[in-house]
Amino acid sequence: MPEYAILTEALTKNFGHFTAVDDLNVGVAKGELFGLLGPNGAGKTTTVRMLCTLIEPTRGTAQIVGYDIREQAAEVRRQIGVVSEGVSLYKDLTIEENLKLLGTLYEIPRPKADARIRELMDMFAFREKATRLVGALSSGWAKKAMICAALLHNPQVLFLDEVTSGLDPQSAIGLQDFTKKLCEQGVTVIWTTHYMGEPEKICDRIGIMFAGKLVQVGTPNELKHIVSEVSVVEVVTPGLSRGQLEKLKARLAEIGQVYHVKYVDPKLEVSCERTDRLAEQVASTLIETGARIRAINTKDPTLEEAFIALTGGEEEIDRFLESAGQKA
Amino acid sequence: MSIAGFLNDSIAVAGNEFRVFRRNRSAVLISLVVLPLFFTASLGAGRGGAGYTYSPTANIPIAWVDNDNSLASFRLWQSLATSPDFHNLIQGYTEKGALAQLGTKRIYAVIVVPKGFENDLENGNQARLILYTDDSEPGLSDQVQSTLTTYTQNFDVNVQVQPYLTQLQRQTIAGVAIVKKGAIFAGFNLGLTTVLAIVQIFAVFYEIAGGISREREEGTYARLLVSPISTGSIMLGKTLFDIILSVIRTFTILGISVYAYRARPNTDILTLLMLSLIIALVTMGIGFVVGALKMGQRAIVIIEFFMILFLFAFSGEFIDSNLLVGVSQTISYLLPFTYAFDALKRTILLGRPVFSLTFDLEYMIGSIVLTYAMAFVLLHFSRERLIA
Repeated sequence: MPEYAILTEALTKNFGHFTAVDDLNVGVAKGELFGLLGPNGAGKTTTVRMLCTLIEPTRGTAQIVGYDIREQAAEVRRQIGVVSEGVSLYKDLTIEENLKLLGTLYEIPRPKADARIRELMDMFAFREKATRLVGALSSGWAKKAMICAALLHNPQVLFLDEVTSGLDPQSAIGLQDFTKKLCEQGVTVIWTTHYMGEPEKICDRIGIMFAGKLVQVGTPNELKHIVSEVSVVEVVTPGLSRGQLEKLKARLAEIGQVYHVKYVDPKLEVSCERTDRLAEQVASTLIETGARIRAINTKDPTLEEAFIALTGGEEEIDRFLESAGQKA
Repeated sequence: MSIAGFLNDSIAVAGNEFRVFRRNRSAVLISLVVLPLFFTASLGAGRGGAGYTYSPTANIPIAWVDNDNSLASFRLWQSLATSPDFHNLIQGYTEKGALAQLGTKRIYAVIVVPKGFENDLENGNQARLILYTDDSEPGLSDQVQSTLTTYTQNFDVNVQVQPYLTQLQRQTIAGVAIVKKGAIFAGFNLGLTTVLAIVQIFAVFYEIAGGISREREEGTYARLLVSPISTGSIMLGKTLFDIILSVIRTFTILGISVYAYRARPNTDILTLLMLSLIIALVTMGIGFVVGALKMGQRAIVIIEFFMILFLFAFSGEFIDSNLLVGVSQTISYLLPFTYAFDALKRTILLGRPVFSLTFDLEYMIGSIVLTYAMAFVLLHFSRERLIA
């Protein structure tokens, strides 16, 4: 049995009648990079906030490196680092001043804190910017400053909530590599995102959240395997009209549940319940409607397709996003 | 957490508040310069500007109609005209002519000495003066009457001021006792009681409630919440920071009041500082409570303006609490600032030792304890409200 850094037990959060997180049970091993994937409003940030002791669960609890988030909140806070949209540094202070304040609050002796600040500054190439106000930094540098702040006290668990949003691709890749190295050093990382590509590349395991529920947990390959019951066809067919597309959807509905139909001229992508007839059906319908087909391929489902299939299809996601928007 | 750790965290928070504060030039300017200067200067100017004594009746034109033409009436005119309270007594009007000018803003009151004034005095009877006032000026008739009463009583016990209701003065003033109001307090002393409290309340409320609201909106309060710092340390740190600002503000107000407006408080500087800080602490407690209620900065500004209006109505500074009736009086008695204004008046104006004001002090300190306890519970147990 692995040693868990995070273990939740029926963790639930209600906001009035709205259930943001519903009966979450998950264990994250020490040193694991665990991705929490889901659309906006799925309950990822609420989960992170409960685990960070920012909000109180309605029911259930969780242990962070053995400390209970309800009973031992102060100890939990010593063990965690948080980078989240709602948790910021003081814009009117320099990076160094912000870090020194946190050093005091985490009771790190001054010489040790200074050494750690220098180490982080070097690690993130911050030396020249140390005396710049956080408010004057670009969003990428500001995010790096927040990561420095989260790492200052050598936390055992690091929460990175939508950490790459607003970062340029190069910085995002750099951050992903850095996070992997942290995990190799034994830090447990929770990486929440709604970008499908990210966790597939870096996470050891991924939990898919939808409508407050943890729909599935597994490695990226396991998740894709779970949805091997999905058939995906990619067709190169230029100039497809809306009428042709609608006719195709209607015809596909006759052979099983359609998860996903996406057309960006000239590429058409269709995923549905596993069927040997998908390529044939798509091709015949397109020909029937007078469409030109340049190429047709079947392919393995990606994590995005796995996610869509696991959450009940695009229409279900659209319905959820609409209701989540109304709640917000 | 140890006490040393608790204090260390509080000092770190206070130091942090200062660093953020000094980088925000407009906050420094508003909190330490504009507010104390603006309030003190505008109230000082409104109360007649610089000068050792202030009398609301000194410079207003008042007609003097002497129908007795006696030595006694001359002496009374002389004593009034040479006093600091009646610089603008105009002679030469007939009674009819003077009354015709009332309500035109050329003359605000008419003092008539009726025939037989001297005879009455000599015969040991009660002499009478007739006073007509322009009631379109709120409070003016009361001021003239009370000041005139003081002089006529000093002049001779047998002279009585008898206010007459004119056609301009429909409402009755009978039964409203306004004795020795305004004229007996030197210079800016009364103004000092107002400005000291109002500036502290105005500035401190925004610094605490607005500060928490800003931190919540910017996400820096959440940063504190995910660190091991306790709610008590955050509150103490912010309190320490604001106490220092309040001390600076108190000295600024006292400096302007004493040197520019010649206020002569009948108490020592430590008493003034202590009362000023008690008022600041009461306001901080209220600020923490409001700050914990998840309000935006705009809402805090609106609440602040309402709070100031509320103070004007119910604090007893502008309308005596005893003159209020029903719910208004109950509100006034419940409001801690009523006791703050009372303590300031009793010390600054009357020179009472601060520790003799037991009930005022007890009520204010009780309010500090209550509001801080409420704020602690709200900040500690509803952390969700403090996240953006």
